[in-house]
Amino acid sequence: MLNAQDNQLVSQTGPGTPMGELMRRYWIPALLSWEVAEPDGTPVRVKLLGEELITFKDTDGKIGLIDNYCPHRRASLFFGRNEECGLRCVYHGWKFDVDGNCVDMPSEPAESNFKDKVKVLAYPCMDMGGVVWTYMGTLENQPPPPMFEWTQVVETHRAVNKVLQESNWLQGLEGGVDSVHASYLHNNDITNTTRYESRSAAPSIEVEPTDYGYAYGSVRHLSKEEGNFVRAYQFIMPFTQLRPDDRRESGASPKVAGHMWVPIDDENHFVWNFVYSLGDEPLTDADKAKHSDLAYEVIDINNGFRCIWNADNDYGIDREVQRTQTFTGILSDARVGANLQDRGIQESMGTIVDRTREHLATTDRAIIATRRMLQEAANVVGDGGTPRGTGPSYYKVRSIQRVLPVDVPWQEGMKELLFEGAEYSPIMQ
Amino acid sequence: MLSAQDNEMITRTGPGTPMGEYLRRFWMPALLSEEIAEPDSPPVRVKILNEELIAFRDTNGDVGLIDNNCPHRRASLFFGRNEECGLRCVYHGWKFDTNGDCVDMPSEPAESNFKDKVKVKAYSAEDWGGYIWAYMGPAESMPELPEVGWAMVPESHRKVSRRLQENNFVQGIEGGIDSSHISFLHFGLPPVVRDDPARAGHSLSNIDAAPHFIVKTTDYGFVYGANREAENDSYYWRLTPFMLPFFTVIPGGTGNPDERTYSGHGWVPADDESCWMFTYSWNASRPLNEGEGHGASFLEKEPRTMRAVMNKDNDYGIDREVQRTKTFTGIEAISIQDSGIQESMGAICDRTKEHLGTSDSAVIAMRRMYLQGCRDLLEGKEPFVPKKGSAYRVRSVADVMDKKVTFEETTEKVAVGAT
Repeated sequence: MLNAQDNQLVSQTGPGTPMGELMRRYWIPALLSWEVAEPDGTPVRVKLLGEELITFKDTDGKIGLIDNYCPHRRASLFFGRNEECGLRCVYHGWKFDVDGNCVDMPSEPAESNFKDKVKVLAYPCMDMGGVVWTYMGTLENQPPPPMFEWTQVVETHRAVNKVLQESNWLQGLEGGVDSVHASYLHNNDITNTTRYESRSAAPSIEVEPTDYGYAYGSVRHLSKEEGNFVRAYQFIMPFTQLRPDDRRESGASPKVAGHMWVPIDDENHFVWNFVYSLGDEPLTDADKAKHSDLAYEVIDINNGFRCIWNADNDYGIDREVQRTQTFTGILSDARVGANLQDRGIQESMGTIVDRTREHLATTDRAIIATRRMLQEAANVVGDGGTPRGTGPSYYKVRSIQRVLPVDVPWQEGMKELLFEGAEYSPIMQ
Repeated sequence: MLSAQDNEMITRTGPGTPMGEYLRRFWMPALLSEEIAEPDSPPVRVKILNEELIAFRDTNGDVGLIDNNCPHRRASLFFGRNEECGLRCVYHGWKFDTNGDCVDMPSEPAESNFKDKVKVKAYSAEDWGGYIWAYMGPAESMPELPEVGWAMVPESHRKVSRRLQENNFVQGIEGGIDSSHISFLHFGLPPVVRDDPARAGHSLSNIDAAPHFIVKTTDYGFVYGANREAENDSYYWRLTPFMLPFFTVIPGGTGNPDERTYSGHGWVPADDESCWMFTYSWNASRPLNEGEGHGASFLEKEPRTMRAVMNKDNDYGIDREVQRTKTFTGIEAISIQDSGIQESMGAICDRTKEHLGTSDSAVIAMRRMYLQGCRDLLEGKEPFVPKKGSAYRVRSVADVMDKKVTFEETTEKVAVGAT
């Protein structure tokens, strides 16, 4: 449970809010690279942390991310002409480059120097791993590039996409660090009692803080002989999760998947989905599916990346399927994976969940740790300090699942795999 | 006219508001029984008095009416699994019975007793007259279920429905106890026709469009009568009972009162800016015929929102040519004429700017009753609430009577059994 004040603190990310200032210390995914693929192509609206922005790729291929509003009379630059290394407002022809400088002001007399005094807000961008990243904080605090391992493997070995979620960002993150619900929400075969998640539906949750966030294990006891089924997750500040997508028991190549929950405003966010392979073979279409362009069959890219199953149609719930086959009756196929079930249940909590009225239990330990870490980091930033996860220490961390002997703690048994880049030989760019 | 303060008082019904607490002293319809007809059938969303609730019928047939949000992490129980005498949240499997007790918490260790400490909000719910009725107030104040006409007849003799209307509930009631608008909004013809009795046909309401209104307080609320001049030194009387807190029975045609089919509405707040119009029809002497009672326009709804298909987004289908030449409004169905005009007053009508006339006396009486109930509660007094279900055994009257019959005498005909 949080009091109303703390709930507000962790939920709100607009300029000047404590959590907003914290987020402005990290590189943030702004949009997919293909959305601004063409030099001089159509500008794209981007809303991040409550700020309305416009992105464009200039004639030289440089990416700009600038204020939606022209500093002259506040017309939207979305309607602008993207030409000759700058975005030109269609109201009076003022033109801005990717750094926000006004490079032309044809509506003023030639002798005027007003254009040298006017700038538009502009944030630095970086194109990496299929994602345009931006940094919205002050220059002196800019961290090293967001070189998550998945952004560094060759393109054939990774996939990334995004989908709109109509709730506050933290509901997404809290679902992403809650391994327990997999036994329920994602039980897509209620007649199968042999799944590890069904055999052991009340796992023990163990959180290990690190300098970038934490690792946590959900430990499901199977039997003395078989051992414990452990899924080890990574949480990287402020909104990234890595989770095992590792089916090596079945001979598949090792994979890691993850999400980033990025605030659009306080009532909406984008869920970024990614997956990468650490083996020699490229990802297959089946591996990519829900993390890739293939999902746009059911995610409407012309309607703000909103899924065709959403709150307006109760996420397509099928009560007969719920009665006889799956726990929810909400679809889980290659294109949506478990994400639609997650999105449905998280949006159903209300746009900003009222945490004064929740009842957290022992299995919510990772959620509690996340909130504490976010609050602590917001305080650190408020006091002028440097928060966790702004250094490069997360570059090589991964997520792994294993069945371990009951007497081997996962923190020891999986240490090298989780933290030290052991065993795999990633195909790096 | 009401002061801004009084208007706020009677229109706001959330928990802790005076009107909200007043209404929580009554049983009120929440949904139709047939919406959760079968044991273990899918749960249904119910929003009443600004509270988001979930209704379900458990394996034993008992009805549960519980908080929409699971007390664990606040996921909606709408998506829940209704199975083995309880509703189970699909997020982490917590399960609640119709009393709100947590009967299973599989995500916690077996030795945990947390489940005995967690409850979900649950209200009393009863199957009665084709509706599921809810009681959301203090246990010690609970009245008997009201013995309204449609609940006292076999299922074949009644017809019930509900529909969302996008305005505050008080506007709905005010339309229901305003007999004078029928001469205009519903029957109304262009003035040239209306002012010429020869061309007006035989509609009794149209002969005298400015009736006299009389109100009499009763043990269920009040009854009001409107008498219009009729032929042969008689009045055409229409008597409407107003049963607390928001039920009416509309006067219809004349004839043997025991054989007539009656209809009416109850207006239940969803939130402060929308309400549920519950409509009921019944006949005490025989089963209703196919299509009898409230008509198709009450039932043509958007399936998920339960709004009328004819709504503010399409201006209720107004046809200006029909309005010019045939009907007063150009809006086709009577029930849409009502909902259209009531919604047009704004989500919450600004009663500081209205101008009430003599024909609005029932509206004034109703507001006084509400304000009295609110003020009693504010002073720590229990408001007047009919505790006996039998107080609700009434019906409407529409009859042509000799002018010598007094209003007092006509109101006796409202009681069930009177002739």
